[in-house]
Amino acid sequence: MLISVEGLGYTYAPSTPLARTALRGVDLEIRQGERVGILGPTGSGKSTLAQLIAGLLRPTSGHVLLDGVAAHARTADARLRRLKVGMAFQYPEHQIFEQTVPREVAFGPRNLGLNDAEVEARVAWALDIVGLDPVEMADRVPLTLSGGEMRRLALAGILAMRPPVLILDEPTANLDPRGRQELLTRVLTWQAETELTLIVISHNLDDLARLAERVVLLVAGQVAADGPAREVLSDRPLLEDASFDVPPPVALLQALRQSGWAVATNRLLAEEAATEIAQVWSSTGGMV
Amino acid sequence: MSKKQALGNQALESQGARPFIELRALTHAYALEGGGEVRALQGIDLTIERGEFVALVGPNGSGKSTLVRHLNGLLLPTSGQVWVDGLLTAHPSSLWKIRERVGMVFQNPENQFVASTVEEDVAFGPENLGLPPDELRRRVDDALKLVGLTEYATHPPHMLSGGQKQRTAIAGALATRPACIILDEPTSMLDPLGRRRTLETLRSLNQDQGITILLVTQSMDEATAAERMLVMVRGRVVSDGTPAEVFGQGQRLREWGLGLPSALEIADRLRERGLNLPAGLLTVEQLASALC
Ligand SMILES: Nc1ncnc2c1ncn2[C@@H]1O[C@H](COP(=O)(O)OP(=O)(O)OP(=O)(O)O)[C@@H](O)[C@H]1O
Ligand SMILES: Nc1ncnc2c1ncn2[C@@H]1O[C@H](COP(=O)(O)OP(=O)(O)OP(=O)(O)O)[C@@H](O)[C@H]1O
Ligand SMILES: [Mg+2]
Ligand SMILES: [Mg+2]
Repeated sequence: MLISVEGLGYTYAPSTPLARTALRGVDLEIRQGERVGILGPTGSGKSTLAQLIAGLLRPTSGHVLLDGVAAHARTADARLRRLKVGMAFQYPEHQIFEQTVPREVAFGPRNLGLNDAEVEARVAWALDIVGLDPVEMADRVPLTLSGGEMRRLALAGILAMRPPVLILDEPTANLDPRGRQELLTRVLTWQAETELTLIVISHNLDDLARLAERVVLLVAGQVAADGPAREVLSDRPLLEDASFDVPPPVALLQALRQSGWAVATNRLLAEEAATEIAQVWSSTGGMV
Repeated sequence: MSKKQALGNQALESQGARPFIELRALTHAYALEGGGEVRALQGIDLTIERGEFVALVGPNGSGKSTLVRHLNGLLLPTSGQVWVDGLLTAHPSSLWKIRERVGMVFQNPENQFVASTVEEDVAFGPENLGLPPDELRRRVDDALKLVGLTEYATHPPHMLSGGQKQRTAIAGALATRPACIILDEPTSMLDPLGRRRTLETLRSLNQDQGITILLVTQSMDEATAAERMLVMVRGRVVSDGTPAEVFGQGQRLREWGLGLPSALEIADRLRERGLNLPAGLLTVEQLASALC
């Protein structure tokens, strides 16, 4: 599905004293199978943009088109397209309403009209991807889970629908380091197998470095940058202007370069940075 | 005021020489509706002294939030005891005094909002201290400014972005300035500037006013900011030491489902590739200067 965002503006509580313009003049095109990261300071409009793409909000100006049809429209055409967009909210509590964990995960697939066996298989598959133990969780009430467990459950509920477009709003907040790594790896594998469109909002630059090939930077409701992840995430002036730091591996490489190491500085991951440093180190005979 | 002086003054007001927070054989089991239970805390003995800055880490479901909710009497032990400033949380008559001493920022800020505007919400804690109106006003304004929410003062808290909600909850604790502030993953959805400001503020409250800080976090980089680090796994405290000591046991951390701060992670990989580096490089700055 082609997502076209054209001249998009959104204002909350318009013409009231609390009016707040969250987005203005946003243009974006996201093709099927792209992996796009969205980055931006607190309050820059990321979650608002996500909800507009999912058709949950109606633009104040401009358009969001899903294969040419307005995302929020009340037509059968639009509804079919919205079904293809799965979104995990920033606060998992906002999308959890069933009384047990398995029923929560089964809700989406059942709504898609799948039969019992298929629903059961989807539930097992989704719980496994997010690292929740189906036996331990069989009778648990969703709203009594721990913070990280609840985030995992909300993700499982969306994944179980296997939407061709997946929007994840801060998917790794509250996950422990191993859970985070495993989730990123599994989502990436799933993405590659199915060519789904992945739109990820995160403050964690390592998440974006691993998941996204393209990064869109929002500042004050406008697109401040849109380019390859490797370029945007190693652009120190750009990121600092937006109250971000470069990822730690880039910060290290930039510091080394300043003191004379001939290292490339656009290595976003710890393992890439280590490889780069070790290469330069051995090419100089370990004499740096 | 120096940390020592502040500690001295507070010590005069305290109820004797006992540790500020003391957990004795604390267990907590949640009863499940269909029968059965979840044993979230399994016999924890722990003391935290006045003026400490402690980071608490552990995998999802290990009992961190359950533990911290015992420290202001929101949860009561299934067995064992929790003492705060010499007061037993199980005594209903102590609860009010304990909550005056221990401020809490919850993992989900939305569960915490009590008022219909941001500034009223931030004022809720300090109001209960009976401060003079101008002091109250100043504290609220300062706290809002610190977290960058001045222009949202009269907004309803539910009409905020995710990170703005977290900032509101942090501002409430800052404005109240209790003897101890407990924060349960307060920065999980803040941008790096918001994170840095929050940590700097906590550090200065701790250093300058002797306020005890307990910070729950999933960020190993953030945990290095503390003086002392606790690791919980399956309802037990399995490691307790300085961040350098705790992160020094790299392999065990991975077994626990945790990780290393970025600098240690890169240093480990460099050692695998033959570079010789000293131990205990907790920050990127330290690693960079070890390499130069
Ligand atoms: N329900 C709402 N009602 C009114 N204003 C809102 C609402 N939700 C968000 N806003 C405002 O719209 C702007 C953009 O908010 P949005 O939630 O899109 O930001 P964000 O980039 O997702 O931020 P964060 O990183 O903090 O989650 C902010 O100024 C915010 O205060
Ligand atoms: N009200 C409840 N009823 C039943 N079980 C609960 C309840 N609250 C928490 N638990 C369980 O107790 C255990 C500890 O939960 P707790 O919230 O303390 O973990 P945590 O370390 O804070 O995890 P996280 O990192 O995910 O926030 C978990 O297995 C959780 O599912
Ligand atoms: Mg948001
Ligand atoms: Mg928790």
